[in-house]
Amino acid sequence: MSELLPERAVLLRDHVRDAATGLRDIGMEIDRDPTAIDRRLHLPAVALMRGCTVPVEYVSSPLRIGPYTYDMSSCLEHTLTIEELSYGDAGFMLACPGPLMSGVAVGALGDDKQRHAYYQRLAGPDPVWTFFGLTEPGKGSAAAELETTLTPDGDGFRLDGAKRYVGNAAYAQLGVVFCRRAPGPLGIEAVLVDTAEPGFRAEPIPTVGMRGARISAITLDHVRVEREQILGYDTLKPSRRGLVGAIRTLQRFRPVLAGTALGLTRAVLDHVRAERPALAGSARRLLEDLQDRLDATRWHNHAVASAIDAGEVRADRIAAVKTRAAELAERATLAAAGLLGPAALLRDPWLHKVYRDARAFEFMEGTGHIQRLAVFQGVAKGTFLR
Amino acid sequence: MTAVDSSAPATAAERLAAFADALDDCHERAVPGGVVVSRAGWAVASARRLGTGVPVPDGSGVLAARHGLRASGSEALGAFRGALLELHRRTLRDVLDAAVARLDQRESEGSPLLGRQLVRGSVADVALALSQARDVLRLPRPTASRHHRVHRELVDAGRTALKLYGAFGFTAEGPGGLLHLTELLGDTYLCPEDPEAEAGHE
Repeated sequence: MSELLPERAVLLRDHVRDAATGLRDIGMEIDRDPTAIDRRLHLPAVALMRGCTVPVEYVSSPLRIGPYTYDMSSCLEHTLTIEELSYGDAGFMLACPGPLMSGVAVGALGDDKQRHAYYQRLAGPDPVWTFFGLTEPGKGSAAAELETTLTPDGDGFRLDGAKRYVGNAAYAQLGVVFCRRAPGPLGIEAVLVDTAEPGFRAEPIPTVGMRGARISAITLDHVRVEREQILGYDTLKPSRRGLVGAIRTLQRFRPVLAGTALGLTRAVLDHVRAERPALAGSARRLLEDLQDRLDATRWHNHAVASAIDAGEVRADRIAAVKTRAAELAERATLAAAGLLGPAALLRDPWLHKVYRDARAFEFMEGTGHIQRLAVFQGVAKGTFLR
Repeated sequence: MTAVDSSAPATAAERLAAFADALDDCHERAVPGGVVVSRAGWAVASARRLGTGVPVPDGSGVLAARHGLRASGSEALGAFRGALLELHRRTLRDVLDAAVARLDQRESEGSPLLGRQLVRGSVADVALALSQARDVLRLPRPTASRHHRVHRELVDAGRTALKLYGAFGFTAEGPGGLLHLTELLGDTYLCPEDPEAEAGHE
């Protein structure tokens, strides 16, 4: 089904596939020590992640393949890149410096000056890790209910509250924090925060797997925020700012996250085939069934990402493909453990790692329960299965 | 509403230590004073009981594994498998009870999350799986194949239960770590020798 991709996307996919070769051992190292990424910053895969969604005019040597130049501002190209890197190792990919979700938020909400400053910093010589701070301890990722406050303070503001389950926050230099300036959905803002500001603290949260994501908890205690740090404050109406930006970023990023889950799933199925090339009978049929599901979900994910590029953002379909991809990754890793025989998790450390990693996709960028509500809305409106 | 046992271990380390003790009890019931070894030659127990071995990943040093030992006899293995599944079932029951208590406290749009139909449905699904597992495990003439099926159903129910916790279910501090150990123990002791014979159940 991938043959339906445009030529420039196929060239990109093949290029990233080469860059992802050999990432598994590094992924294992990062699983043991999430700071191990610091020793791998010279790798081409890191350069890819650093450049994702940074406009070419800011990058000293933008990615050029054949006649094409890439900055992954296309959701499809971003998704393909992340899928291939995740085939190498999803934890490695998530541990890399670069814009990740914060870049999508800044791109969607920032004014020219804010985007310029952000991209200049990301494209600088030093690696910059970023974070996307939405989820809160009491309210999860329910953006409309968040409680972190942005309070006027002299000629600026101060930020107070807590965020939880935020990737890379404990290691980042810069990030986007969603907060409440006033009651109601129009009172939500997105602010760009420098982690060196007094009052900002973040620490890692130990997890069962996907340790490269470096999930963190953030405490914000009177963090000074200038008006210029509020994304789109001077250029966008309140109805087009904070909450809209959170939703738009999550929707734009869900096919990318689905790509992460699908890259991991493909790696797992290939691993089973390599370890058990002579599988027969019901075991072979199980593997074939999983491969069919993978191919179908990949095709659907590419279609959803292409639709986003064409300006067609369908919340129900985006939610569905994220859920299918996350569930498939869990299903494939569970099946792989069975297909590789007794004590596979103790005998095969790589399988044990991806078995644990696959569980992360359920809660990243909205849990299955939240996605199902979006699918339900699509069914109720008659749009989902059309 | 389900009451949560106030005497239950409070911290992740305490829960892990209690789990290791319970696992050792399973060994004790099958091989007094020793450890049960799987058909593939693996043994997993508390580091204290096993003596030598390598730490089990994510067992925080409390659990250890050894390979290359002679497999235990069928009777001991059968008794151990049954006990292990009971431990898995009890662990999942605790996870479900704690999820219900937690969801009753957490609010969204002014009402407890426990009031949501989707949430209630997931809670019921886990409870049904627990009830089914209990009944199947009570059947006479237990077999390795039956034990493996129960294990897989408990794993599926466990994954459903963890989703009730959101991201907390993925933290080492949360219930995900313990349920992962139950999965790993099942993979070690309950997985069939011939995956081709069993894969059709997926």
